[in-house]
Amino acid sequence: MKPSMKRRTFVGAAAASLPAVSILGAGSARAQVKEIRMIEAGGKSGESVEVGYIEPFTKKTGIKVIRESPNPLGKLRALVESGQTSTVLMELGSGGMLQARNLKLIEPIDWVAVAPQPMFPEAKHEYGFGYQYFSTIMAWRAGAKAPKTWADFFNTKDFPGKRCLPDYPNYAISFALLATGITPDKLFPLDVDTAFKKLNEIKKDIAVWWKAGAQAPQLMKDNEVQYAICWSGRVVGDPAFGVNFAGGMADLSYFTIVKNSKAEDRAAAYKLMHEMSIAANQAKAATVVSYTGPSPELDALLPKDKLAEYPTSKQNKDVQWVENAEWWAANGEAVNKKWEAFKLSL
Amino acid sequence: MTSSNRFEGFGFIAPLLVLMLVAFNAPIVYMLGLAFWEKGRGFTLEHYAGLLEAPVYLRVLGNTMRVALVATLANVIIGYPLALWMRGLGSRARMIALALVVLPFWVSILVRTYAWIVVLGNGGLVNRALQWSGLTDAPVSFLYNELGVTIGMANVLLPFLVLPLFAAMIRIDDRLLQAAASLGASPTTIFWKVFFPLTLPALAAGTLLVFILCLGFYITPAILGGGRVPMISNLLDTLINQIPRWETAAAISTVLLIVTLAIFAAYRRLDRKASAS
Repeated sequence: MKPSMKRRTFVGAAAASLPAVSILGAGSARAQVKEIRMIEAGGKSGESVEVGYIEPFTKKTGIKVIRESPNPLGKLRALVESGQTSTVLMELGSGGMLQARNLKLIEPIDWVAVAPQPMFPEAKHEYGFGYQYFSTIMAWRAGAKAPKTWADFFNTKDFPGKRCLPDYPNYAISFALLATGITPDKLFPLDVDTAFKKLNEIKKDIAVWWKAGAQAPQLMKDNEVQYAICWSGRVVGDPAFGVNFAGGMADLSYFTIVKNSKAEDRAAAYKLMHEMSIAANQAKAATVVSYTGPSPELDALLPKDKLAEYPTSKQNKDVQWVENAEWWAANGEAVNKKWEAFKLSL
Repeated sequence: MTSSNRFEGFGFIAPLLVLMLVAFNAPIVYMLGLAFWEKGRGFTLEHYAGLLEAPVYLRVLGNTMRVALVATLANVIIGYPLALWMRGLGSRARMIALALVVLPFWVSILVRTYAWIVVLGNGGLVNRALQWSGLTDAPVSFLYNELGVTIGMANVLLPFLVLPLFAAMIRIDDRLLQAAASLGASPTTIFWKVFFPLTLPALAAGTLLVFILCLGFYITPAILGGGRVPMISNLLDTLINQIPRWETAAAISTVLLIVTLAIFAAYRRLDRKASAS
């Protein structure tokens, strides 16, 4: 009995001493909170948040940020419905953010408290801080015939090779429609049935439907597939792949405020968001992963030779279209049923 | 005396009982309830009605059953001869064979599943060997289809079938087989009339176990199915994490639970009939 008690006292003492150390480390900061928790997408994106925004934030305020990943919407629902108050920040895609808003899982952002530096307007959303632009684009194994348009990509006769498409209807359906000749400005509302017709035409050549972002580039490297629709950060700058931003989908990842989180945590989260709005920090984050922040002044701070790799550099932003998350928030569940039926027909 | 003994025994198992109730049974009851509940409106049957109106989710369940059945049959076809062969080995060889069967248990299921990509991919060991030997010109698609999922599931689940089968087989008294032989039965007759019926309960139990485990497989179809083999666990992941429609997921899970229990009940009935006759 005794040894175990001893151990417990020791652990208790150690735990008690930890916050003391961090308070000392905070120096002059008057922070009431010592740490806040965020749920983010993980991987290189998470590292970029750490390097670009958390490090300068902790240096200024002494508040630590604990990261947790991955970030499915189901986790947010579990957090809120269980009544937790410990996690304040949640990263969500544009579609996920609107679903979370409709389900009342997140709270509006107090933009006055954030007091951001200049941002692109779509990034300054009522319910989310759009912190990271990413693109979904066509890519191919080096050496394969390069497609110029989505019609090319879906033309398996003239561009022979296996395809790898996302197992997410919002990507597959939109790009299939663009391949039929619809222009991006007339894309929404989506003509779902026409899209499935197009997908049915080439489904024999689609070897894999990916769920995880790492799958598509790996499958191209292994020569299992020759063409893929994938997230730009996974393929740009790698000589193993050819990429084309033309007709690609530009989308934003947002940080949102979890419902019922504590007021002092929220205040700290807004300060972290302020760090995210600073162009210099965004440039630092972009060195970790080829996704970019929402500052219009960012291009000037990025390395000139790498501008072709970023979703928001002028040459790429102009040839892409922006995801219509509102349409998906309203229609996503119904489309998913058709999607499952389509998958059963493979 | 006996009643006080019983009470003492209860004291010992109480912690486990509480753990089971709180950590295992309570969430299941919550899940069952979730399917009958709509926030703000209370009791409803609409989640089940939704399943019937758009039967695509039930079709995914049917597809899961089919894939599970195929994987289970593959397991029986590989596992039964394997267990039989192991029974005939000497004690040292038997230990080695047993270790080889159990070995995959100690390797992460994720690693084992990814290993199949190296072995069965277009540029994998098997395809390179086939092309090198001139048996095929183009790579054979082993992966990213039902074949790949079946191979992966059979690999992971084989020990669940082989171990109980093997345990039952080594318990069979050799003198029974010798007696049958001394009465003039041919080896085939001995196998089908004496040996096989004695292994049948273990085979049935192992098959059932494998089939039920197959129904809940997630990682293998996700990786080796290439998104082309819709299984119920992967659908539930979408409904729970992406959409997130927990109520629909709960309704599907309830249907799955009932189907599984029905299969189990059918097995018990068959088992009782068999042991009674």
